[in-house]
Amino acid sequence: MTVSPLQSIIIDMSEHHKKGFVANPKVVLREEFDNSAILFDPETGNTFGINPIGVIVWKHLNGLNNLADIADIVCERADAVHSDVMSDIEAFMQNAVDLGLASYKVK
Amino acid sequence: MAAPVMHTPRNVDIEITSFCNLHCAYCSHFSGPGDVKEDLPLEAWLQFFSELGRCNTMKVTLSGGEPFSRPDLRAIILAIVTNRMRFTILSNGTLIDNEMAAFLAETGRCDLVQVSIDGAIDTTHDAFRGEGNFMKAIRGIHALQANRLPVSVRVTIHRRNVLELEAIAEFLLEDLELPSFSTNSASHMGLCRKNAALTQLTVEEHSLAMETLLALAARYKGRINASAGPLADAQFWLEMEHCRRENRERPAGRGFLTGCSGPMQTIAIRADGVIVPCSQLSHLTLGRINQDDLGEIWRHHQSLEHLRNRSRISLSDFSFCQDCPYTSYCTGNCPAIAYSLTGKIDHPSPDACLRKFLIQGGRLPGVSCTYES
Repeated sequence: MTVSPLQSIIIDMSEHHKKGFVANPKVVLREEFDNSAILFDPETGNTFGINPIGVIVWKHLNGLNNLADIADIVCERADAVHSDVMSDIEAFMQNAVDLGLASYKVK
Repeated sequence: MAAPVMHTPRNVDIEITSFCNLHCAYCSHFSGPGDVKEDLPLEAWLQFFSELGRCNTMKVTLSGGEPFSRPDLRAIILAIVTNRMRFTILSNGTLIDNEMAAFLAETGRCDLVQVSIDGAIDTTHDAFRGEGNFMKAIRGIHALQANRLPVSVRVTIHRRNVLELEAIAEFLLEDLELPSFSTNSASHMGLCRKNAALTQLTVEEHSLAMETLLALAARYKGRINASAGPLADAQFWLEMEHCRRENRERPAGRGFLTGCSGPMQTIAIRADGVIVPCSQLSHLTLGRINQDDLGEIWRHHQSLEHLRNRSRISLSDFSFCQDCPYTSYCTGNCPAIAYSLTGKIDHPSPDACLRKFLIQGGRLPGVSCTYES
């Protein structure tokens, strides 16, 4: 059976459900005036807009929380259902890892 | 309702020194309130950069004076990097050598080094900047290019180079192979106030500069730009004239003092550590670094709030604008030049007034347009 690149990413992410994520310490979170926020990578000068849920996720990328832990926190703060937010958080983290904004904690 | 304000400034413009090795005849820095006698020591700047780091500021622009005249510039830049920011440097270029350029490149955080070049040949450039400085500045540009740093040039248009604009464009874009350059003109601030007759364009010269620069901008697509001076005036005034001819409705943001959005994203610091809204409004003191909380000043200082609310002041409220056919299409332009010329920040800039320009015999490129009062 061949595995497409997309599938392999999904498989990789599922493997990391049990691992902690950590924010790149060089990346700056700027929370602006209207619940909008941006992540600024000073190494590249790139900026990425994130929504209030993204802000909650970002603030908990301390290496201690895995995806399920972060989903729990989001559900608690944003009054959401765990199964609804999990895929969004997975996608957010996949993007963040791909862009060098976050990484898996190396034990 | 007040316009929403960011929690902290995204950009900070810093006059890192008041000293300059040159004394250009139209410099906006000298003889203004920002022209202070003593610079802050390195330790004070390092402390302030830590505060900027906590404020999540993204970008610092270093100017002066001449930033490269500071012997501790490397330590200053390393502190910017350590505090997760990027930087731009505005320079006369004469003190940049290969070693310094290599250092800037190694940081990986340099957005731009802007060097002032005012001529295609040394006699033009040096006329107001001092003998020998053209070659020094060009050597500085070569050092930046050799280290693959983003480099741009700012051309200040004045009475001695206004007939050389085509040669300047060819020199910068073809001979030096710069990706782009920007232009402004000697404006009524700083030393230029004393040397206006020598340096500031006459109406006829301004008309000529607009025509030449528009043609050059068309020839070198996207490579010549301006936010002030003859090219910016030509682009903006032509749009206003088209609006008037077609009797268009007032476009959003026009008809009010909306010419400056700087205080929404940027704050400035003088070389003595005094916090001001803009380096060109250096008399308007808001506080002092390391003594006053930058975020508090940014969010709550009355003077900043006042500047941000200029955009609510209608141009039709000014006697200066009465009966002007362009009022609905105008922004009043730069508050700093308005202040320099009228003593009032809440006033349209007379220097950027299309009606006044036409009354004085000015011409808009490509259109037949005269103003009869």
